[in-house]
Amino acid sequence: MALITEKTREEVKNIVYNFFADECEVEIKDIHSDTNIIKDIDGDSLMFLELIEIFKKKYNLDIELKTIGKYSVKHPVQTIGQLIDMQLLIIEHENRLLELDK
Amino acid sequence: MLQKKLAFIFPPFASEYPDDAFTNLTGFDDCFKKFLAWAAEFADPELLQFEIPAKTFLQDELKTQYISYIQSCSLVSWFHQKGLTPAYCAGYSMGIYAALFQADVISFPGGLILIRQAFNEIKKVIGNKHFGMCSIIGLNQDDLEQLIQKENLNLKLAIQNSTCSFSISGTAEDITKVMVSAQREGALSTRLINVSVPYHSVFLKDTEASFMEFVDQIQFLTPKMPIISLVDQEILFEEHALKYEVVRNLFTSLNWYETQLYLQELGASRFVECGSGKGIVKNARFIEGDAISLTANSFTALLDSK
Repeated sequence: MALITEKTREEVKNIVYNFFADECEVEIKDIHSDTNIIKDIDGDSLMFLELIEIFKKKYNLDIELKTIGKYSVKHPVQTIGQLIDMQLLIIEHENRLLELDK
Repeated sequence: MLQKKLAFIFPPFASEYPDDAFTNLTGFDDCFKKFLAWAAEFADPELLQFEIPAKTFLQDELKTQYISYIQSCSLVSWFHQKGLTPAYCAGYSMGIYAALFQADVISFPGGLILIRQAFNEIKKVIGNKHFGMCSIIGLNQDDLEQLIQKENLNLKLAIQNSTCSFSISGTAEDITKVMVSAQREGALSTRLINVSVPYHSVFLKDTEASFMEFVDQIQFLTPKMPIISLVDQEILFEEHALKYEVVRNLFTSLNWYETQLYLQELGASRFVECGSGKGIVKNARFIEGDAISLTANSFTALLDSK
């Protein structure tokens, strides 16, 4: 289980903001914690998938996509802030993510 | 001028017509109108009613196919007028007809005839049965095959887009079921595709003989550039192989993932999606290698900036 520090939190936030600014062709200043990924900046599930791959590589994570998918059913992500929180949980718990619901 | 590293990819029918798809292509609108008028005269006069803001025809599968083909052929013509010729081309799903036009294998009306005939052959085979397609992201091939088998669903994997992105064809009832089951199994996304035909699956196998007989009557010329098959990633060159590709495209599964990898092996490093959507460009994010995928609009902007 990885320890989530303030540095990790900031790093994840920066990656997510820069990713969506680039992919959705919006200014970083226009992205906020409560920005709705689909409605406000025209994001999609493929972007979510790509972001997961970025974090898997960066933090050398052992997590299956379907584990994230199962978790998402109960904890759907709509905003940038929710997405960052989920990425932090993925980094922290990896394949044990579903145990959080037990 | 032949662009050695450039591949033009022709998308299937559109699920939307964005207003800003071709804003960087000066004069494209006139080019499109000429092709539209030609198609209206040749295939269906109602095509002249097409307007992008009105989202015309999106619920009409045949007309939507026509419009996508017309847009793609207009792009071929527009880029040709700018002196741009790709080194390779490929047609994703029903984009096969525009790829054939790009390579000068068939004429513009020839493509319209093939689209109409394929549609009629399909309707003969499926009759009143209810079919459909969906896309599932986040499960791999084994996961999906096991799911289909376990639940005894009448479905087939139709297109592989990446290691964890697939399109599935089958009965409408089982398409609905698999979308629910896939989410339960951990799919990140499931989406119903706006078609009533189980494209690229064995459900359409009975189109083969009759459609082949028809295609055999159409003149196919030698391609002026390599066309890559999405079925087996072979370079299509012989007349019979090209004709059979058009026929088997209806009932054989496609592998867009492997096709992109093969195009890169051949030396293509820039893929341009020659249509109004961004589906192919979005999917390309998950393909290994350094190739860049661009919409026609962003490709044009890139050219203009140089």
